Amino acid sequence: MMRNVTTRVLNRKMTPMEKFLLAIMAIYIVIVASQSPKFFSLETAFDLARNGSGAMILALGCLIVLISGGLDVSFTAIAIVGGYSSVLLSRALGVDNLLFIVAGAVIIGALLGSINAVIIHFFQLSTLIATLGTASVFHGAMVILLGSKTFTRADVPQSMLDFGAFSIFTIKEENSQYGLTIFFPIVIAVGVLTWFLLYRTMIGRSVFAVGSDPESASRIGINILRTRLFVYMYVGALSGLMGIIYFSGLAYINPAALVGTELGVIAAVVIGGAKLTGGEGTILGTVLGVVLWQLFQNTLVHLGLSSSFNDLFFGAVLVFMLGFIYLRQRQANKRALVFTSN
Amino acid sequence: MNKVFKFLGRDRDLSILGFVTTAVIVVLYLMLGSRLFSIGGLQSMSIQVSEFGFLALAMGLAMLVAGIDLSVVAAAGLSGVMAALTMSGEFIPITPENETQIIILGVVVALTTGLLTGLLNGFIIAKLSVPPILATLGTMILYTGIGTAITSGSSISLKVPSFAKLATSTVGPLPMVFVMLLATFIIVSLILTRTRFGRKVYLFGENEVAVRFSGIKSERVILMTYAIIGILVGLAAIVIIARANSMRVGFGESYLLQAILVVVLAGFNPLGGKGRVLNLGIALVLLQVISTSMTAFAFSPYAKNIVWGGILIAVMGMNHYLRAGAPRARRQEPPSETVAIALEQSRR
Amino acid sequence: MTESPILSARGLAKSFGGVQALHGIDFEVGVGEIRCLAGENGSGKSTFVKIISGVNTADHGTITIAGEEMTSMNPREASAAGIQVIYQDLSLFGHLSVAENIAINRMMHDGSRFVNRTTMREIAQQQLTRVGVDLPLDAPVSSLSVANKQIVAICRALSMDARILFMDEPTTALTGREVQRLLSIIIDLKDRGLSTVFISHKLDEVFEVADSITIFRDGAKVGDFAASDLDELSLSRHMTGRDVTYNRYVREQTDDAPILEVAGLSRKGNYENVDFSIRPGDIVGLTGLLGSGRTELALSLFGLNKPDSGTIAMRGKQVDVSAPWVAMKHGIALLPEDRLSQGLFPAQSVAVNASATMLDRIVNKIGMLSRPLEKALADTIVRELQVNNRDTSTPVIHLSGGNQQKVAIGKWIKRNPSIFILDSPTVGIDIGSKSEIYEQIHRLAESGMGVLFISDEPEEIVANCNRVVVMHAGAVDARFTEDDVAAAGFKEQLIHAISAPRHGGDVVIADATAIDAESQSKGLNNDA
Repeated sequence: MMRNVTTRVLNRKMTPMEKFLLAIMAIYIVIVASQSPKFFSLETAFDLARNGSGAMILALGCLIVLISGGLDVSFTAIAIVGGYSSVLLSRALGVDNLLFIVAGAVIIGALLGSINAVIIHFFQLSTLIATLGTASVFHGAMVILLGSKTFTRADVPQSMLDFGAFSIFTIKEENSQYGLTIFFPIVIAVGVLTWFLLYRTMIGRSVFAVGSDPESASRIGINILRTRLFVYMYVGALSGLMGIIYFSGLAYINPAALVGTELGVIAAVVIGGAKLTGGEGTILGTVLGVVLWQLFQNTLVHLGLSSSFNDLFFGAVLVFMLGFIYLRQRQANKRALVFTSN
Repeated sequence: MNKVFKFLGRDRDLSILGFVTTAVIVVLYLMLGSRLFSIGGLQSMSIQVSEFGFLALAMGLAMLVAGIDLSVVAAAGLSGVMAALTMSGEFIPITPENETQIIILGVVVALTTGLLTGLLNGFIIAKLSVPPILATLGTMILYTGIGTAITSGSSISLKVPSFAKLATSTVGPLPMVFVMLLATFIIVSLILTRTRFGRKVYLFGENEVAVRFSGIKSERVILMTYAIIGILVGLAAIVIIARANSMRVGFGESYLLQAILVVVLAGFNPLGGKGRVLNLGIALVLLQVISTSMTAFAFSPYAKNIVWGGILIAVMGMNHYLRAGAPRARRQEPPSETVAIALEQSRR
Repeated sequence: MTESPILSARGLAKSFGGVQALHGIDFEVGVGEIRCLAGENGSGKSTFVKIISGVNTADHGTITIAGEEMTSMNPREASAAGIQVIYQDLSLFGHLSVAENIAINRMMHDGSRFVNRTTMREIAQQQLTRVGVDLPLDAPVSSLSVANKQIVAICRALSMDARILFMDEPTTALTGREVQRLLSIIIDLKDRGLSTVFISHKLDEVFEVADSITIFRDGAKVGDFAASDLDELSLSRHMTGRDVTYNRYVREQTDDAPILEVAGLSRKGNYENVDFSIRPGDIVGLTGLLGSGRTELALSLFGLNKPDSGTIAMRGKQVDVSAPWVAMKHGIALLPEDRLSQGLFPAQSVAVNASATMLDRIVNKIGMLSRPLEKALADTIVRELQVNNRDTSTPVIHLSGGNQQKVAIGKWIKRNPSIFILDSPTVGIDIGSKSEIYEQIHRLAESGMGVLFISDEPEEIVANCNRVVVMHAGAVDARFTEDDVAAAGFKEQLIHAISAPRHGGDVVIADATAIDAESQSKGLNNDA
């Protein structure tokens, strides 16, 4: 059975978007590697894994929302609120235990997510506008209730510092050593879990069904509210987890961080082939989208470009890819005489 | 007076908005009195609202054609950076003699950059059929990226002292920039309600497909709408650099949420085809009064955010319940049997 | 029927906000019976189906399924009792696979938490075998033709142990051959005890296989009839409550120089080598089964579907109709098939809709829109077309279907097009408005306009057209000249020509819903 699944996954034909992303990535890597031999190393890969793991977790959550036909922009706010309040709680209770802190963040995240789901469901709001509103409320409320004090290394719970510095293995070289962060297997686990939920459970299939056509979904007895609760609570929980990983990695806790980067995450998922219209999107595409984004964020320095060029590259690729995806669809619609607005 | 009531009765959004705005102003006046409503206070409010008003109007236009423009702030940032560079003396040395020309050039650069950003958005949306929300998400990152790459993220200072006068000079009691905003609102309002193009904008927002089947060049409507949005963005950039006397990428990021908020508050439908510039103007006044009062009450920016977010959700929720009975074209279903029966009977 | 009925409804009544939608309906379906439920739009058919399937609850009356009386039934209980409804839109999930679409309902119902692909495929294959159709289990449903989607919907219903299947207008989107396949499947299932209720608003193929026909009018049952007792006229009399005969159109123009000439027009996958011409005063009927290419052809003449080869000439001059505004410039107008989503701006007023094609007529000297001019234009149109509601500030969504269609026609007539293409102008429109629209079309033609009248109702073609072109599988299959049309027995000939095409070749029409074959073939449902 397990082997069966593995071969199925591996034999799956890649979507055109995925191929396209891989090609861009390959070209980029070849160019950078030819400019800077140091680029093509385990160290770069490990760096990338460390810096990109938070974004990857958020992106997987974002993917589920897109498949369900929504667009959430509150997940960075939830990550900060979940992470920050959980850290404050652990400090207040004097419980310096990683599991406790993570659980706290995940639960708070899921709760905030459920608020999103309820507002979206009962007010029938545009998910973008609703979460734009809740993001401000969540983040604002946290700062007002809990303050906006930052914590430097000395005040960060020891368990988080250990977590952030932990490597599953390290490679020693003459004058340096580097390791693969513990975040990496966590990201893999989240990816597998997300895959399993989406493709192997009925609730996951309901997410696809609701994203494809909510009306038909409710006709065959799918509970739309329950599906939405699952989607937004799952995203909330992942965001909470990401908040802890983010703070641990930096060994610095700043409640004003991260908020404002959500559109970048969404963009990465979208170039991975997820559609705003719901029902479509793949995990592989999302992973490729995030990796490409993170490559631009972290490795332009090998081309001798400062980080000021990050957005330029990513933005250009994003606009180009979007044009490419939707032009194809436009032509197909024209051929098939489908006269729809987007 | 009767006429006024008739007019208000016709537009429910306007009546609600007008009532709420009046009530809020009265309450705040009783609480804050002259602190808020002195000549100086009103002037500084009108200067602040000017900067943001252009961006809100741009967002409103995007929503009229069933879109949204996430790139307005980034595009204003880029236009501002380009104009600031022109007037920074870095490329063209500034002398007292050529100052006027430099200012004119700077203004032209800001408007042209704005126009180009709008045209690119329009092209991607009209000709490549990318959904507006994604198209402008992409260009938002791109415009920010271009701006950051040019400036390395640092702030660009203006070296033309007389340009700052734009922000401080007044026409009678009114600040110059506010007059600009007022004029722009009137012009855009006239375009929307009194020209063929304006009519096409509303028709497009209501039903894009029917626009094509009516022999209207629908793609041109989109291109032109986003071009106007671009010009508005350029105007916003001019006001911003005149006031701040410098520009950096990332300036005014919180305006994006507020722009969406004020447009929704003004009764624009995010699905397109509905919204009036007059209402937008009133909503802007309301928002600015609340914002200034919150500053007077010493609210932190975070507290303000809660208020904005809360208002956004509340307004959308209220609109949902108010609209629940109203027919919505987009469902593309023929009216249900019972509705049809009821309609038939009511007609007999 | 000696056996006790599988479904029996007694005295069902329902009102919505004071409007009585159903008056004491009695309805019975026997085991293995095929029933047709006919009625005009608004006759109460869908309310009835909604009550039977548990979506709505009746105010009065009882429902008995297989001898068991159901009280306050919800959709889940209705489904458990064996009632399955296949709506016209089929309610499928385009991005999910065939297997999953068939099995999802069953699995959901069984309370599975996890997806067992083996079980899923078994359920799907079992049902497909039952109806004797072979479909690729892993293909996304969006890549299937409408007919095959319908098979998937039927299989999904069967997987729920359906005992009575309601199908809403199942044949409207099918070609002749597909209809035959569908009907043979249903007859096959009937032999194995499944009861089927077809819901229809016009006389079509399903009547031939139905054991009996129930007709609804104004929320009440007119009666049950044997198919053999009904013909088009009596059916329409029962459905509308009146005898309707339309004035036939006779062309009286003497100018025989064609306005529009179409020669060798082809578009791959849509239609091939089409020739015809329209003279002033002609109302040329263009008919054929769905998928015959008639709508595709109409769109080409209006610049929305670029032909691959062939020529279009207006008044002897070849034109390149590359876009709707070009068509408009050459004097070609189109009333689209789907009035609400293509023809109108539903939330806008009658005046705004009526002037949408003529914005240049409602501007004053300085180029500004003028309300008085707009109102004057709309008033003329409303008067000329006899729109019941004379207040031009009413949003069109508040008008009845017939009046909406009059506005949709009205927005073109003041442009005085020389060619007016009308695609299915009376679908879903009450009888009264129908005859008014016909008369209006006759008047337009009498004034020298050339009309292309697309319809799949023979009766309508007979009443309105002086020449007829029948298409099949994208090609012109039969033509009727003015003499043919005027001759006795034309209607029978026409019906025969439509249903039994001479060139019975393979259907070449591309599946309009398979949006992007390449992107769909990627197997969306596969893992990750």
